[in-house]
Amino acid sequence: MGRTDSLAKLALAYGVHLTRRRLSPPRSQLQNLLDMYRPDGLGPLTTDEQERHPRLIGCINCGLCALAAGRMGKTRLPDLASAYLRLYARLGDASADVEGDEPDWEAAAAACPVGVPLPEVAAVVRRLAAG
Amino acid sequence: MSQPSANDVIVVGGGVTGAGIARDLSLRGLSVLLLEKGDWGAGTSGASSWMIHGGPRYLEFDWDTTRLSTKDAGHIVTIARNIVYRIVFIIPVLPHDKNNIERMETAMEVYDRFQPLKKSHPHVRLTAEEARQVEPGLTSEMVGAVSMEEWGVDPHRLVFANVQDAVAHGARALNHTRVIDLVKDGGSVIGVRYRSQDGTTTEARARVVVNAAGPWVPEVSRLAGTEVRLRPAKGIHIVYPHRISKFAVSCESIDGRDLLMVSHGGFTLLGTTDDDFYGDLDSMDVLADEVEYLLQAFERVFPAIRSFRPVRTTSGVRPTLFKWRHYEDELSRRYQVFDHATDGVEGFVTIAGGKLSMYRLMAEETSDTVCKKLGHQAPCVTATQPLPGSESDMEPADELGRRCGIPALAVVKLQSRHGSRAEAVLDDSRSGRLVCRCEPLTEAELAYAARSEQVYSLADAFRRVGLAGGPCAGAACVIRAAEVIGRELGWSASQRFDAAREFLSGSWLGRAPVLGHAGWAQEELVQGSMRGLFS
Repeated sequence: MGRTDSLAKLALAYGVHLTRRRLSPPRSQLQNLLDMYRPDGLGPLTTDEQERHPRLIGCINCGLCALAAGRMGKTRLPDLASAYLRLYARLGDASADVEGDEPDWEAAAAACPVGVPLPEVAAVVRRLAAG
Repeated sequence: MSQPSANDVIVVGGGVTGAGIARDLSLRGLSVLLLEKGDWGAGTSGASSWMIHGGPRYLEFDWDTTRLSTKDAGHIVTIARNIVYRIVFIIPVLPHDKNNIERMETAMEVYDRFQPLKKSHPHVRLTAEEARQVEPGLTSEMVGAVSMEEWGVDPHRLVFANVQDAVAHGARALNHTRVIDLVKDGGSVIGVRYRSQDGTTTEARARVVVNAAGPWVPEVSRLAGTEVRLRPAKGIHIVYPHRISKFAVSCESIDGRDLLMVSHGGFTLLGTTDDDFYGDLDSMDVLADEVEYLLQAFERVFPAIRSFRPVRTTSGVRPTLFKWRHYEDELSRRYQVFDHATDGVEGFVTIAGGKLSMYRLMAEETSDTVCKKLGHQAPCVTATQPLPGSESDMEPADELGRRCGIPALAVVKLQSRHGSRAEAVLDDSRSGRLVCRCEPLTEAELAYAARSEQVYSLADAFRRVGLAGGPCAGAACVIRAAEVIGRELGWSASQRFDAAREFLSGSWLGRAPVLGHAGWAQEELVQGSMRGLFS
């Protein structure tokens, strides 16, 4: 009974939907979506960053880059990929953490056993943290 | 054996429903004892998809479940406002999906009628190009997409917030305490016999015993000499230790089921399977076939999925009400409260079925039944009374971080667990030190959890404060964490060592099914850094 009733109501809604689509021309709702969820930190990665994403977050937090090159601002280098990029929707609340000095990126990248492109990670984190 | 304690109600089972019942009854002024054989929320609740959702798929089977679920989700979003967050799905439609884009949008239009009940926005329809613009990882083969909004929540924190509030209103709550028998007098249940984690056996009396044991409901019912039939359904998730997409994504599996890839704060859950389960509830393996079933489905809509490194799996069993013949996925997530007086067993009530989104309502109805049996008249207030941490607004993360000397990101995570009570957790001289850097988790919060949140093991700390939940999977933090917890609980050096070993070997069970090339390399690193722990 519940199933039959549910399907009947959905069928009616489908008819109404198709009629409405015929009568009113569709318009883009993309901007609505972006505006609606901007306060929630959604929509920040660019297409290029998304393509590179698996490599950007490949860090296994072994700590070797920190031994080689220390920190970016107050943040220990492995934390950039293993914590900051992980929580990217909330980075706007943590921008103070990544302000400050640049480490020796070459030394840091050379020390990484899994080839995380650390300068790229840092650039993405800083861009997202700046909003 | 010690002297029996007297309570109005004993609740067996510390998942979200049991914890919710304990809170509800305590707020109504009854004395409650809540018992959980493992840790709070360690069973079905913790193995969920971490969502308070209305379940649009139930629209095909039972609109009433969707209505009840969204309405109660709205209450939960209100009372837990500081620990819930929006999850926005992009649902791509591919050429041969069972629902074309018009049918999919129709479902969302219907679901939009329920969305205001849980304070959510209506759907948006996107062209294929627009969908790839907002979520570049999606396949170019899709014909269009719709959005859908739900709420995310850490079920472990939700369960514990209910436990905390029950205790604040006079309840006693014991985890790692197994009910080994029910105490009976003729045809009535008058109490329970339980074994504490130190091995002692205790008897406690109550006017009503509530069986809220989730998939273990039939087992507890048998102790009372009555029967409740379930059709347990196993569900697994693959866990990625990062947010791998901006939006959550839904897709269709090879057998036409709806699967979800849900982006939570710092990790992604990909699931879930839904299979009849006949095995041992206390020992569940994740099978390679189950993992492949999920990956195969998501590869179709999110082609890069296999290039991301999963860190572990979760598995749980849904306590679905028994029904013959329907496919697992079609079974309603309805629930039922059984007063076993109708079977000739007085003083015994069972709650079975349901889902996380309806836990508060399930707790309310169970508590109504209990109060009626006891002749106790007090209204339910759990729909409006905030849970601990959601009483007031949260302070901006960077301000609190500056004042307490910890990174703002650590404050963000701290607030996601403790809400407006975050600063009280940091009231400790060690607040600035991070013990788990991936999470990031401070020593102060971990020590607080051991002192004040019934954390007795590293696995409890994983559930309570997210210890070792990140990409390092514990390699960089478990030894230090064992030191911190051990200091609070008075562990010897060998106990700390054993705790770390137990945690790593326990978490291995969930990790092994998804370790790929990089995963094995990481595992070698863990083994190397902890040489001796595994010998």
